[in-house]
Amino acid sequence: MTTQIKAQPNTVTFQDKSFFQKHGKLIYMIALSLFTLFWMLPIIWTLSTSFRPEIHIQANLAKFIPEPFTTENWEYVLRSSKIPRWLFNSAFVAVTHTALQLVICATAAYGFARIPFKGRGIVYPIVLAGLMVPGQATFIPVYLMFSDWGLLNTYTALIVPGIASPFAIFLLTQFFKEIPVEFEEAAYMDGATRLTAFRRIILPLSLPALTTLAIFTFLGNWNNYLWPLVAATKDEVRTITIGLRLISSQWGYSDSYGKVMAAAWVGAMPIVLFFFAFQRRILSGISIGSGIKS
Amino acid sequence: MERSTGIVTSQGQSPLTKEWKDTLAGYAFTLPFLILFAIFTLYPIVQGFWISLHNWELVGTNIQFIGLSNYQRLLNDKLFWSSLEHTIVFVILSGPVLVVVGLLFALMLNRKIRGMGVFRTLFYMPNILSVAVVGLIFARVFASDQRGLINALLIPLGIDPIQWTLDTALAMPVIALTTLWWTVGFNTLVFLAGLQGIDENLYDAAKVDGANNWQIFRHITLPSLRRPMTFVSVLQVIGSFQVFGQVDVITQGGPSGATRTIVYYIYERSFDYWQLGYGSAMAFVLFVLLFVLSIVQLRIQEKDA
Repeated sequence: MTTQIKAQPNTVTFQDKSFFQKHGKLIYMIALSLFTLFWMLPIIWTLSTSFRPEIHIQANLAKFIPEPFTTENWEYVLRSSKIPRWLFNSAFVAVTHTALQLVICATAAYGFARIPFKGRGIVYPIVLAGLMVPGQATFIPVYLMFSDWGLLNTYTALIVPGIASPFAIFLLTQFFKEIPVEFEEAAYMDGATRLTAFRRIILPLSLPALTTLAIFTFLGNWNNYLWPLVAATKDEVRTITIGLRLISSQWGYSDSYGKVMAAAWVGAMPIVLFFFAFQRRILSGISIGSGIKS
Repeated sequence: MERSTGIVTSQGQSPLTKEWKDTLAGYAFTLPFLILFAIFTLYPIVQGFWISLHNWELVGTNIQFIGLSNYQRLLNDKLFWSSLEHTIVFVILSGPVLVVVGLLFALMLNRKIRGMGVFRTLFYMPNILSVAVVGLIFARVFASDQRGLINALLIPLGIDPIQWTLDTALAMPVIALTTLWWTVGFNTLVFLAGLQGIDENLYDAAKVDGANNWQIFRHITLPSLRRPMTFVSVLQVIGSFQVFGQVDVITQGGPSGATRTIVYYIYERSFDYWQLGYGSAMAFVLFVLLFVLSIVQLRIQEKDA
């Protein structure tokens, strides 16, 4: 007994400063983990609900562990809903849009960065002013244009607007300007044309910038909301974003809670995987893109 | 400009100067972009204004020039003014909270501890979800009666279910909270970049001088974050002004129009009532508003740089 009492001053008490000093990091990580868990509750809850049988969901909504566990909601969404088709539409549209934007904007940015053509001093500032034009300012006339062309409810309508992005031009022109001209001059001595210099020298050296731009263009197009909402109203061309809007209102709250949650996560899964695959580039892209960190 | 390296055409007549060669090459490289830019950005601005001068009721039919009547109508449209008011309320509700919470999260995650990167990734993650997914989730977190998560948690505690999205006073705060969860990760990353750029010697010097944590934050951290602060704030105002998706998925502008924002009203007029002329007039007003805001942003950033 006495030995135990004697030992007490040496054991940890909360008054003891050295406890926090010793384990400060650990305590911090535990507190942070708990808070992160709280912040992620909407995700945990919806994911968990998507794996619960509907009867159990109806009986008790506020459960964060899928027990009993079922995949019936996910199976329903993957087999019997239009979600797989909408996912394909989104993927096709976003990939094509990104590829076209990269080719067209990189080519143009090279022109703006390297070739002193007549009118550049007027054209380039106008393009940059385009940075200040929000989508809401142009979507009604663009809608009417596609309507006149009979191209509403086509992939073309979803892919083409926004390819000519002033942001992409700004980003790439800045980047190309940083590349020393000497590299190209050496190539010109060897008889290279501008196009070969662009393809063989500028593009490979710009791979990091091009990749980052591609990632953000892809994300932006995939998550685009207002334009696909008005431009694609048929199931065959609908994107997943607008499809989920439809499901949120049509499947309701009463008898298909689990299916709605499964729909949300099947719909979000490609972009979540995309995010975790490219997270480093995405996170650093924002730090650098904000101009705060170089 | 150098003219010496002009080449001679096959006829051996007019030499094509370097200047003209450059101009040809310049347009060859930029033309595909410029054509698309003209069709999908420049022309629609002009055309949008032109449409706004018409009674452009249904697509392709019944189009009639009415001058500035749509703008006159707008001045007397109570719904337009209330949508402007709702938008400003949203900007005020969400903006400061998003900046402050973004900064707090950045301070929370700015530790040199192994594994911190995982937390940064997790706090940013909601940002990459589409507004449809986030809206769908939060429509159910905040659903009224027993159909929502929060009410389901409150009922066992003996608290009556709250009519979140059915209450005119609570609907907009729900939209703002949803927006906070969805987008705060972006602000956090910008602030983190700012925090990591602060010279650590400043902190050491302050500690030697006996400054406490609050004094260090107040006199070193905060002043060093001026650039990220303006960047985030201005971007926040411009972004919040365009709020649409959250409203569209969670409340559809309701209850009784309490969350009808400008972009929602433009969408409603144009694509529910097919009053494209009137919708264009409002879109043009929004465009001018945002254009002015953007110029203010550029001025502030120039002053900062």
